[in-house]
Amino acid sequence: MSSGKPSCGETMTPGARASKPRALVVRRHHLLVRISHWLNMPLLLGLILSGISIYWASPIYQHDPNPTTGSFDPFADAGIWICAHVPWLHHYADPANWVYNHGSLGPYMLAFALRFHWLCAYLFMLNGLGYLAGLCIGGGWRSLLPRLSDARGVLQMTRYYLSLPYTILARRRPIHPNFRTKYNPLQRLAYFVVAVAGFLAVATGWAIHKPAQLSWLTAIFGGFDNARVWHFWLMVFFIVFVIPHVVLVIADGWDTLRSMITGWSAKFKRPEVSDHEL
Amino acid sequence: MSFKEIGAEEKSTRRSALRKKFQDAFSERPIEPIEVEPSILRRWTRRDLLLFGAGALATLAVGGSQLPRNVLQRLGLDQGGTTGPENKWLLNQALRLDDDVSTVLYSQHHLVPTYTKSQITPLKNNYNGATPDPAYIPGWRLTLDGLSSGLAVSLDIEALLARHQINDQITRLVCVEGWSAIAWWSGLRFDDLLHAYPPVSQAKWAHLESSVNLDANGNPDPYFVSIDLVTAQHPQTLLATHLNGKPLPVEHGAPLRLLVPVKLGLKNIKAITRITYTKDEPSDYWAKRGYSRYDGI
Repeated sequence: MSSGKPSCGETMTPGARASKPRALVVRRHHLLVRISHWLNMPLLLGLILSGISIYWASPIYQHDPNPTTGSFDPFADAGIWICAHVPWLHHYADPANWVYNHGSLGPYMLAFALRFHWLCAYLFMLNGLGYLAGLCIGGGWRSLLPRLSDARGVLQMTRYYLSLPYTILARRRPIHPNFRTKYNPLQRLAYFVVAVAGFLAVATGWAIHKPAQLSWLTAIFGGFDNARVWHFWLMVFFIVFVIPHVVLVIADGWDTLRSMITGWSAKFKRPEVSDHEL
Repeated sequence: MSFKEIGAEEKSTRRSALRKKFQDAFSERPIEPIEVEPSILRRWTRRDLLLFGAGALATLAVGGSQLPRNVLQRLGLDQGGTTGPENKWLLNQALRLDDDVSTVLYSQHHLVPTYTKSQITPLKNNYNGATPDPAYIPGWRLTLDGLSSGLAVSLDIEALLARHQINDQITRLVCVEGWSAIAWWSGLRFDDLLHAYPPVSQAKWAHLESSVNLDANGNPDPYFVSIDLVTAQHPQTLLATHLNGKPLPVEHGAPLRLLVPVKLGLKNIKAITRITYTKDEPSDYWAKRGYSRYDGI
């Protein structure tokens, strides 16, 4: 091997090289990227749970109060509906808050939820900086930038996933489109967009938090109320992103999951001329 | 080929080389496989799984300890028994940090956006408890204390209106809950009052109280806020006397309320009865209940 050196301080003597069995791995994720990736899990969970507790105090989506229930909040309507239709929830004490009791830190705790949200938000911003630093130091940013030439591949991958259930049902062998890049174009787009969404979530957060001092930022998102709408749907986007993200990692297997912990992967496209036997 | 043409060709090749260099800077580097002994790989994997696992456990422990009491009780991690306000060290630090950030972001010269009359939105009665009986209004007086003269001053609304210039502003009032309202306010600048009745020289804070505030059962529950004098001097910080061109109605704090659009709504105290200037930060009704002390927006 001419240029690829183990970067963990492991030295190899040329003599020992030929005799012992070797494994070939590639470095996939920088340590900072791996740490920030996993920290996003508790931080986003904390942000979403406390965020919905804050949302409870004044929902952005409201309708005229329902004459029978008095509810003006679609989340409260959902709770009332669930408690009316799920047999073992018929005697649930507070149906209007069922969603908030199960999908947030809880109702009636605005002061607490705000403090929790600030804690997670500041850590989330720090984490984002760590992620960017890891991308720059490790050079991983090059694999993340979507290009115009990716459009075809994005369509190919989308068609692959959309037709996958049918292919499996028809007992045909699914043919995964082949790409020589670290991520396939759809992955690249998804990871890039989720990073941008993280940035926008922070920006809209500041727009809501400081509409007076950062009024220019609030104006970018169409004013205070619209910034809240942006912030809400960015949260929804994170939830929507996580579901296929986790499903596909499980489907892809241990190597992919492990690479986000250890940083290396044994799965890679071998170069045409392999020089590892030299 | 003429001499000139050769020059142009050279230029275009140089340009395309530059473009290629630029594209290369963004293109993925070839992956260079590392050759390792399988036993070393296993050791790395074991080490990293242990380290990341320890990190996950530590995060779970620290994060979990900051969860609200009722969530911990539901998870069976808190046996209950303790009441009183939630007091979590990390959360308090986060709130402190956020207040410091807000203080740094504050600018005396930055004016909040103003709106036109057509953009005015409905403003609800947001008295936290019962709305006070308007019987207090005719006998209302404002007491100023902590003045450089060393004497307390008592003023009625006519004196305040007669002596100071009345300013109009249509600004947004932002509630900590997330709703907001654009309203047309008129009143005197807090800064003008500070000039007319200067506070003691060491004063850095104003403590504003409303003795007429009631709790939900209609019992007296004086409301009070702390305002730093820097914010009080902001040109858009008003002691409002009018809403929509008419004297303030009782539900919006007749006859005098604070209108400080650089702070959350909860600092915009209604029916002010006393202003005391102090050197040290005074107490604040909602800060005592777990909200921020600074509330700058």
